[in-house]
Amino acid sequence: MTEAEIFPKLTAVFRDVFDNPQLDCSDSTTAQDVENWDSITHVTLVVAVEKAFGVSFTVKDIRGLANVGDFRRLIAKRVK
Amino acid sequence: MSFLSAEFGIFLALGLLIFYLSPSQWRPRVLLGWSYAFYASWSPAGTVLLLFITLSVYLTARWIQGRSAESAKFAVTTAGVASLLVVLIVFKFNAWLSSPFQALLGDIAPGIRVIAPLGLSYYLFKAMGYLLDVYWEKVAVQRSFVSLALYISFFPQIVSGPIQRAGDFFDRFDGLKRPDSAEFVVGLRRILFGFAKKVVIADRLAVLVANTHSNPSRFSSVELLLGAYCYSFQLYADFSGVTDIAIGLGLLFGVRGPENFNLPYFARNVQEFWRRWHMSLTSWLSDYLFLPLRMSLRRLGTFGLALAILVNMLAVGLWHGPTWAYAAFGAINGIFMIVSVLTLKRRNAVFQTHPWLASVRRWTGPLVTFHLMVFAQIFFSVSLGSAFTYVGRIVPFPAVLHAGVPMLRLSWPLLGISVWTFAALCAGLVTMEAIHWGSQHACWRARFMSAPRYVRWGLYYASILIILLSVRTTVSFIYAQF
Repeated sequence: MTEAEIFPKLTAVFRDVFDNPQLDCSDSTTAQDVENWDSITHVTLVVAVEKAFGVSFTVKDIRGLANVGDFRRLIAKRVK
Repeated sequence: MSFLSAEFGIFLALGLLIFYLSPSQWRPRVLLGWSYAFYASWSPAGTVLLLFITLSVYLTARWIQGRSAESAKFAVTTAGVASLLVVLIVFKFNAWLSSPFQALLGDIAPGIRVIAPLGLSYYLFKAMGYLLDVYWEKVAVQRSFVSLALYISFFPQIVSGPIQRAGDFFDRFDGLKRPDSAEFVVGLRRILFGFAKKVVIADRLAVLVANTHSNPSRFSSVELLLGAYCYSFQLYADFSGVTDIAIGLGLLFGVRGPENFNLPYFARNVQEFWRRWHMSLTSWLSDYLFLPLRMSLRRLGTFGLALAILVNMLAVGLWHGPTWAYAAFGAINGIFMIVSVLTLKRRNAVFQTHPWLASVRRWTGPLVTFHLMVFAQIFFSVSLGSAFTYVGRIVPFPAVLHAGVPMLRLSWPLLGISVWTFAALCAGLVTMEAIHWGSQHACWRARFMSAPRYVRWGLYYASILIILLSVRTTVSFIYAQF
């Protein structure tokens, strides 16, 4: 799966978790830009991403995420 | 030496003089020396513990960095964090553990009791966060012992926080340049605002709260309800006041600390409240407790989420001390948050299908959240037994009311303040929130700064005058005890 293919699927997961069908994400999107993206929904998001992409993350992986771009790159690394 | 004492004023003035006259390469050492002198003024014995912990953390972090195997890094980090937790438990929880521990100590050194050193919870959380960040590679290992020691002991933050993250502190502290005059004035303004909140609002509300909370049986339901509201605002003005003073003091020395409050009583739900209240503690616990716990429980689905929230909120409560009331405060907030989180999607769906309700929700959300917090904070303000008595007397069950106390009575003389003082306090609270709100909006900040100098300085001097006229008996900062 290429990084370009990851993005639409990742956006769909974001829209589902944050209950916002109009949500648009870019690499620079951070928790500040998305309503209700806090520590509670963050792990809900991580679990949803793990399920959608069939990957598994560690706490260290999650602590290193600063924005959606980091998330996309992390998924690409795990999917490979 | 309290921030509110005249001695501290002299100490600060001397510290600033020495700091600004020192060559730049000496300033970190000067600030460190001043921080240790400040801490020693509270607790000379505690200073030895502070130094010992700092040295241990410094060496442990270097040790983590020196390991190449992941398992070794993990083992060293776990041992380091666990040791700090043991120190916290021994000192803070010794009342619960006291029988065997105190008996042992009594045998070794009769007459000595274990008392938690000032600011222990704050600096141990900084130290633990630093070790975990080094392990998670979020922050580089500090080679300079002076920098690390200054981070842990920085005197504006050691009494009542805020709990600044290591990376944030080192980023701002690195190179420690002399703050420019504009930043210095911002710091002074912040200190002035903090003093105004503390002396003019919190300490006046404290008079009413001391009455209602010390003997609830003398008061009617309405008076106790008013006491509960007043405590919530006293706590807010007191704690955000000391945070303002801490941030302002930091700015005088060129270090900007993290914000601790963001209009918390306007939060639309419980989880939002905890993103806006004591932010440096809640974000610390989110990153270092909730996140690892929630990740390890994620296979348990909703139960795992609820359990992680409950444990996290219990930790928020017990961080304040080992009492059943703080545990109840944490548990109540945990239950509120679990219900709020688990029903959020369903509530959103209801409000989306009835758009006219959206405008109602804009008002009811903050109002309901505020009242939930007022209720929970009753458990924060008194012992567990007294909290139940207090709540029982607010709820109008005739059976629990004291004979001869009308339920709807509102006696200002009994409450200890006049109706005019109360009205002035309400005006003060509105002004405080308007300043908080305005300071978050660039256009209002710009408007204030573009006002003529005589207007701004006139306001500063008027504030100083109001503070001086308001000083009666100063109550210690509530959060200085943690």
